[in-house]
Amino acid sequence: MLTKKMLRDMGQHKTQMLSVFLMAFLAVFIYTGVGSEWRGIQNSADNFYRETNLADAFLFGNGFSDEQADIAANIPGVSAVERRLELNASADIGNSPTLKLYFVEKNEISKLYLVSGSAFDKEDAAGIWLDKRFADAHSLSVGSEISLSANGISIVKTIRGLIYSSEQVYRSEGDALVPNFANYGYAYLSAKAFPIPAALIYNTLLIKASDTAGLEDKIDGVLNGKYSVCLERRNLPSVIMLTNEIQQHKMMGNIFPIVFLMIALLTIMTTMTRIVDNQRTQIGTLKALGFKKSVITRHYITYGFSLSLLGAAVGLITGPISLPYFFYPSMSSFYTLPEWEPAYAAAFLVVSGASVALCACASWLACRNLLRNTPADTLRPKSPKTFRHNRLEYVKLWRKLDFNAQWNIRDATRNPIRSLMAIIGVFGCTGLVVCALCMKDGMNDLKIWNYEIVNLYESKITLEENVTQEQIENITALVNGEPIMESRVEIRAKGIKKSASILVTDNTTLIHPTDTNLNPTSFPNNGIAITKKIADVLNLNRGDSIKWHIYGYEGWQDGKITAIYRDPDSQGIAMTKEHFESFNMTFTPSAIISPDEVSGDIDGAESVLSSAESVAGWDALSEALNIMTYLLLSAAAVLSVVVLYNLGLLSFIETEREMATLKVIGLKSAKLRGLLLTQNLWFTAIGFVFGVPGGVRLASIIASFSGDEFDFPISLRAPALVTSLVFTFGLSVLVNLMFSRKIRRLNMVESLKAME
Amino acid sequence: MKEIVNFVAVTREYNVGEHVLKAADNISFTVWDGEFAAILGPSGAGKSTILNLLGGMDTVTSGEIIVDGKNIVGLSDDKLTEYRAANVGFVFQFYNLIPTLTALENIALTGKVVKNPIDAMEALDWVGLSDRANHFPAQLSGGEQQRVSIARAIAKNPTMLLCDEPTGALDSETGLTVLEVLRRMNRERGKTVIIVTHNTALEETADRVIRVKNGKISKITVNTAPKALSEVNW
Repeated sequence: MLTKKMLRDMGQHKTQMLSVFLMAFLAVFIYTGVGSEWRGIQNSADNFYRETNLADAFLFGNGFSDEQADIAANIPGVSAVERRLELNASADIGNSPTLKLYFVEKNEISKLYLVSGSAFDKEDAAGIWLDKRFADAHSLSVGSEISLSANGISIVKTIRGLIYSSEQVYRSEGDALVPNFANYGYAYLSAKAFPIPAALIYNTLLIKASDTAGLEDKIDGVLNGKYSVCLERRNLPSVIMLTNEIQQHKMMGNIFPIVFLMIALLTIMTTMTRIVDNQRTQIGTLKALGFKKSVITRHYITYGFSLSLLGAAVGLITGPISLPYFFYPSMSSFYTLPEWEPAYAAAFLVVSGASVALCACASWLACRNLLRNTPADTLRPKSPKTFRHNRLEYVKLWRKLDFNAQWNIRDATRNPIRSLMAIIGVFGCTGLVVCALCMKDGMNDLKIWNYEIVNLYESKITLEENVTQEQIENITALVNGEPIMESRVEIRAKGIKKSASILVTDNTTLIHPTDTNLNPTSFPNNGIAITKKIADVLNLNRGDSIKWHIYGYEGWQDGKITAIYRDPDSQGIAMTKEHFESFNMTFTPSAIISPDEVSGDIDGAESVLSSAESVAGWDALSEALNIMTYLLLSAAAVLSVVVLYNLGLLSFIETEREMATLKVIGLKSAKLRGLLLTQNLWFTAIGFVFGVPGGVRLASIIASFSGDEFDFPISLRAPALVTSLVFTFGLSVLVNLMFSRKIRRLNMVESLKAME
Repeated sequence: MKEIVNFVAVTREYNVGEHVLKAADNISFTVWDGEFAAILGPSGAGKSTILNLLGGMDTVTSGEIIVDGKNIVGLSDDKLTEYRAANVGFVFQFYNLIPTLTALENIALTGKVVKNPIDAMEALDWVGLSDRANHFPAQLSGGEQQRVSIARAIAKNPTMLLCDEPTGALDSETGLTVLEVLRRMNRERGKTVIIVTHNTALEETADRVIRVKNGKISKITVNTAPKALSEVNW
């Protein structure tokens, strides 16, 4: 019977009940939706790494002998070692795309992942196992032949299988942010397929180890420094990029549900307090009839419990089967994983359960006080709130305020919880809108900063590894270009080691570095410039000393920081050619940048990347973020409408008698609506003022997870501020309009009669 | 006949600001099993306080209340709830039906608190409203609502019916119908009925009349031959 009562009560409080349901639903929907999305990626990546037996450490050098491999295999903690030759070749198709070739000894560590075709055969000298996405981009299939050239030697191989590689989940090769599968790919071959067996030098050692801590020191000890770089798996660019991406999703998936859950709880608190207050006599009656306190308590807890349970259940079911599929298409355009399937976690049940428990708890808090009274007390009408004059009313200014302001100040201060909740609701809404717009602007700023302020070249010609000085000079002359040297370095300072980029420029006019305030600057001639992001990580200031070491070169250099600069998409150190050569090192250009649009086959060039291609890649990368932006904006809209409408309704119901009285006195409906609107606008204004910095802060936190290589400046632009202002206040006015009919229909006689 | 209710020197004080209000001041009286008793007095005399204390809805400041041989003073909240469930059927001035439940459902609600309730439909039949079973309170007249409320009280099969101004919100004719229903429950079903009212017409029709003034008992009258309700001028 009490269940029937509850259902009918719910029917009478449809809006509030719906919003409790909606908020519980959204909280769980987003938590489980985004949660299953990143967990799915994480699982898929973990499985991928495991199935392909991805190496725990990569040792690069100028050649590893059998003995050296054996020595490395005998290091305590190392379980297996395999040698491999990595080299870049170009395919004789289209615009001569680059293919990274792996000539493998056994294919036991960092194995290829076969998508179609026949399994890898280490005795097969004529076959090649080709990157599936590269093959798809060039319409190559199993059985067809591919012709490759590297270091002046051409080979033709038959495609035996199409594959993925767990080292290439994200391809960091080349300068394109978004991998262009047509321009870059990789392939596995048997060592037997190497054209000149005598010249085969294994330049990579793949190591499986149970514990990688201190591994490099152990290796260094046994190999006596005869290698150039030791890269642990977690520092592999592909692994770093994916890990950061997952972190970012994880954080968003955790923050937003908290906002919705808080709103659900506040809605339950306010709604249940009102329901219980209104049902004072009913509660008294139930008590008089002999219902136990526990039974009545359970009855009222069921309101919040059942709705949030329903909401959480629907969210739990629909979240993981819908949200991930919004993200996966754009995610899979720059990550390559064998599987894109959402994954479930026990945490979903725990969080859903906890949300429901919290909602039930909020209901209990709302009815606890009333149930404490004796039945006789409860049956008596509630003694009116003791209205004290608030302090404001003693201020001289008070008398100068108009009725509207006085009425609203009194109403707001006498219902502090309701007021606070309205402000929190608007705060959340503004925060989400501002965050979304800041992110959108930030992406655009980053694009302008990168392609219109810093990097002013039209084309970037990446040079072949063994390019000759003559070829460099030819290309430079041909494209009216400027040579630059880019590589990876290890930086050591204050006990921390960090892998970063290095840029060496030679009187360039096409790269315009920016200082910490993003104003134009130039690289110093007397020292090293370091990006702010790396400087912050290593806690470095101007004048500090660092040790650095370029991958592929043996030995460490000592340098001094003389400038700190900021770069949009490459973090590390930079210096001029003069300063670089002062370390007794040779300036070996890795690319030529040109102000012209360059196309066609260039001798000595590995690839040509146009600025337009980069921008297009950037836009594709922004796509995933745009989805997030729309998600945030819709969430913000739902949030503010639900909260403001609910509170408006509560305030309206509570002041219905006063409103009716005012109407009897002769106030017009428009004036009454103005009363309600004023309050809404005040709360909106306060929430907005706090919401703006909150949103900027949230955007900065999210931006800080955007990956090691990006410097994502977040700032609030005037148009974004105006948009969020219009959005938030617009919703506030919209909600007010929803009440206009109620006010017009206010039945003066009925409102004043229903005194019971 | 046995004593069903025995008030022994019962006092109930309320703190109103800095003042102490004695709503019941050293009250003693007895009601016998099967009696139709009326507690009469002007507004604010303390009538409802007596009824609330007897119904276990409020607690005494001092004194004893013996119901059916058991002292209910000092019982825990849970024990008082059990006492209310088993012994007391309340009828309120404003009916206090649950607005979201139909007439029949309001009565059936008692099935949740007692083990052997009277069938809801039967109880509704006793008050002559079986044809209104599926109406919500808002669809019933005041008199009908009060009859449903009586049916709800009787359906628990309680030791006694406690009625707080049961006719207070009704016109005299409807009020008479309600009182007749209560009288019928008393005579035909043997339920002790205690009515709090300021309607002096009950003076001649009740078996026992307890007059209250300023929180004290001013007079107790026993009518050996009470008049029928219809004989009195309302």
